[in-house]
Amino acid sequence: MIGQGKLLEIQDLRKNYGNKGHVTRALNGVSFDVLKGEFLGIMGPSGSGKTTLLNCIATIMKPTSGRVLLKGDNISSFDSKRLAEYRGSRIGYLFQDFELLDNLTGKENILLPLSIHGVDFAKAREKLHELATFLEITDVLNKFPSQMSGGQKQRVAVARSLISEPDIVLADEPTGALDTRSARNLMNKLTEINRKNERTILMVTHDANAASFCSRILFIQDGVIFHELRRQQSESREEFYERILQLLAQLGGGSANVL
Amino acid sequence: MFFKLIIRNAKRSLKENLIYFATLVVAVASFYIILSLEKQDVIIFLKEFESDAINKLLALMPIVYGFALFLLFFLILFANRYQLNRRSKEFGMYLLLGMRKERLILQLLAEGMFISIWALISGLFIGAFLAELISLTVAKLVGQGIISHQFSLSLTAIVFTVIGFLLIQFIALLILGGKLFYQEIYQLLNDQMDKKQEMGDVKGNIFHIFIGTVLLVIAYWLALFRFNEVEGFILFLALILGCIGTIFFIKGFGKLLGIMASRSEKKSTKGLRTFTFRQFQENVAHKYLSVSVTSILMTLSIILIADGASSILSLDKVYNRETSVYDFTVYGEKEKVEQLLNSEEMAPYVADLNLLEIGHMKRKGEDADGMSISMVDWSKLREELILALPRKERELFESGDIQGYTISPDNPDALNLLGILEIDATIPYLIPESSYNRLLEAVDEEPLNLQANEMVLYLNPDLLPMEQVDNIPVLEQIFKNAAQSKENLLTIDGTAFFLRPSVPMRGLVADRSIEIHSAFIVPDQVFEQLVNRETYETYWNFRIPKKLQDEQGLMMPMKEASEKLSAAGFGFESYLHNFGRQLFYVVAGSYTILYMGILFLIIACTVLALQFLTQMKQTKNRFLTLSMLGAKREQMKKSLRMQVLLTFLLPISLAVVSGAVGIWGLIKAVFIRIDNNPLLFPMSIFFACIVLGIFSIYGMAVSRTAEGEIDKLRWKTNVGE
Ligand SMILES: Nc1ncnc2c1ncn2[C@@H]1O[C@H](COP(=O)(O)OP(=O)(O)OP(=O)(O)O)[C@@H](O)[C@H]1O
Ligand SMILES: [Mg+2]
Repeated sequence: MIGQGKLLEIQDLRKNYGNKGHVTRALNGVSFDVLKGEFLGIMGPSGSGKTTLLNCIATIMKPTSGRVLLKGDNISSFDSKRLAEYRGSRIGYLFQDFELLDNLTGKENILLPLSIHGVDFAKAREKLHELATFLEITDVLNKFPSQMSGGQKQRVAVARSLISEPDIVLADEPTGALDTRSARNLMNKLTEINRKNERTILMVTHDANAASFCSRILFIQDGVIFHELRRQQSESREEFYERILQLLAQLGGGSANVL
Repeated sequence: MFFKLIIRNAKRSLKENLIYFATLVVAVASFYIILSLEKQDVIIFLKEFESDAINKLLALMPIVYGFALFLLFFLILFANRYQLNRRSKEFGMYLLLGMRKERLILQLLAEGMFISIWALISGLFIGAFLAELISLTVAKLVGQGIISHQFSLSLTAIVFTVIGFLLIQFIALLILGGKLFYQEIYQLLNDQMDKKQEMGDVKGNIFHIFIGTVLLVIAYWLALFRFNEVEGFILFLALILGCIGTIFFIKGFGKLLGIMASRSEKKSTKGLRTFTFRQFQENVAHKYLSVSVTSILMTLSIILIADGASSILSLDKVYNRETSVYDFTVYGEKEKVEQLLNSEEMAPYVADLNLLEIGHMKRKGEDADGMSISMVDWSKLREELILALPRKERELFESGDIQGYTISPDNPDALNLLGILEIDATIPYLIPESSYNRLLEAVDEEPLNLQANEMVLYLNPDLLPMEQVDNIPVLEQIFKNAAQSKENLLTIDGTAFFLRPSVPMRGLVADRSIEIHSAFIVPDQVFEQLVNRETYETYWNFRIPKKLQDEQGLMMPMKEASEKLSAAGFGFESYLHNFGRQLFYVVAGSYTILYMGILFLIIACTVLALQFLTQMKQTKNRFLTLSMLGAKREQMKKSLRMQVLLTFLLPISLAVVSGAVGIWGLIKAVFIRIDNNPLLFPMSIFFACIVLGIFSIYGMAVSRTAEGEIDKLRWKTNVGE
């Protein structure tokens, strides 16, 4: 299930906010690898630096120091032009609030990364059809986001993140704005994409339920990674979920809700 | 603290929102320019000759001012709304932090007034500069050296500008403040574009376009072919239909465009094309009303500017002295005037002195009804003229159905000539040959040397609608034929007179003291014999000597001579009257109309600009998303420029078509006369450039502002570094 090579290497990532007088160390030396084909989760309490970490990896933000290697390229040192080439084509994104353009139809939203990178539509037609069928969004392709449900919106966003067959999909609390059923549906789809197509996914969440779909989970607090959980081959999702809850209880000295 | 915040915010508004500030400045400057009309050199000059007409024009100014006030009020309201929208989040925060609404609104008013003062200072400065520039240019352009330029600052104009501007600014802020008062904090914090997105069905939109096109075509047809019928009403109807048609057309067009964009699959992934069209569609389809209004304003603006410019074209005629010979005509007792003009004081100003004698022909007697019996029999000439008429008119004549005569440029020449002679020939004016010979001599033409039975049919070039009165083809042909066949076209008291063809026709006096259409120029002894002594009059005409003109120009000596004649107590008229009156028509016809035209254009452009930037601001997040999906800055800027172009191009394209039809209609209705004026081409180019220039300045400003927003966007995503 898990491929061999390292797809993404995070080396001693640090990020400070603010200037001299008032510095917040959001990331305090984070290092880990993401293997090819992995479904990696990152959990941590609010303010622990999850979004900051993901934004640094996503090249939305420049880290103060440290390196982010994607297939060996240090993307954290790229200039904006080269970054733009990576965004949307080699890296796909999922956001908590979907970030669909509300004046574009579902289909237009999904095709947007291709438009931006000038990929011929003919090549994507099949892919679009396949994704839409799999994600059950064929009937909203010609609707505007305001006419879709939250779950549909997020699945359109998933299709958008996958259309250009990126090396990795980065997701920041993708279930955050969804109800339980839509969230589970989405996580099932993501798992299937991960398993079937060996698509690497890196997801930040503080929802233990969502995290239980991952194959490995890193725990972050105060800008450092301090624990790791791996799902055993034989372990069911429910069992993994229990294990996560237990760990959170130990860590937080309380319930999972604190996260 | 409160005061400091006001100043800081006001300063920030200035810096961040140049378009808002520029709008206020434009408003102030426009007020000043129209209000200071009185102090324009040309107006001051014309007041001397045409004071009645100028006063009438100036009396009209408060109406123009009121109208400008009314229009600019909406512009100011729109600009302020845009400015407040930009900051709604900030206001939401103030309220969230516990600021009382009353205080917030008070602060807004204070800020608004503070900015207004800046706008007033800059606007008055620019307005005064522009007014000065216009004054100077016009004085140089039309004044030919007589209109002296003087720097002027109109105090009343400043006062009324300040009052008017502050008034509309205050009302606008009050209205918007009141609205703010009833808004919830939530609305302020979440200032977003209406989320209403719809596909719209193709049929519905085609229907809209169809209705719009039909209405426009009807309006065009009315403007082009039915203009002269029930004039005012048809014009009004065409205007209303045109407006409604424009609204429908733009509504349908905006939506259809979006649908078309989403339909063409092949191109759908070509850069940000789909995005660009969707943005454009949103801007047009959702705001079709204001886009239509801008289109209508632009149409009016184009028509007004064309009309105003065509008035300037007739300037050409003002200077054209082709037919006017004399600079002065003095009335009064023949000998006394002669004495004065030959006096030491006046002599330096007098050349080509000519006594014009004129009088009616005697009558043969009266018939039973007391009607005059004429000495003139021109039945042969009449016959020939009727024969020369186009068939339709000729049949009318032959059937005797013709009722009366109108003399108009639309008539065939022969008809006009018939009209003139029917009216004049019974008791024609007589002019002795010697008088006219002296006139011809003054312009270096051959004297007439009439035979005893020869005469000239004098036709007044200033009053007749023909292009060239000395060479009317029909008449020339008739005269020639008659000469060949030795036929008599006309007899006076039984004596046949030959009509001399191709005699140069010139104005008899300096201006309008003799307003006649036609006269008979006859040998002097015939004049003595036939003239009715009771109607005999004399006029002394003269010109300013050539040498003096070369030294001092025409106008200075004319002014001096006028003063001397006035002092001597004689009635007189001068070419200045003629010039002044014609100039007045040009100035009155062009100034206010051009002003309105340009004002409309500026308003339309501002509305488009502010609307575009509002949308841009409300949909800023989209650009963030785009950049996360890998869109390069340049790519987004390109899309923005395209959006700006489309947003401006749609209303102006329609306006250009409607405007062209409007102008064409006016030309057909002879409201606008273009003839074959050599200035026509440069003038059209010049005003087209002005329109395009204003347009491009706004387009560019919007582009720059929007691109600036994109730059800021990138900076925010890389926060911290
Ligand atoms: N733009 C910023 N400027 C200054 N400090 C920031 C900024 N963004 C985040 N921080 C700080 O950095 C730390 C990490 O923030 P981050 O958003 O990464 O947390 P998070 O784990 O995503 O939290 P949550 O679960 O609430 O989303 C926090 O202490 C936060 O206050
Ligand atoms: Mg977060």
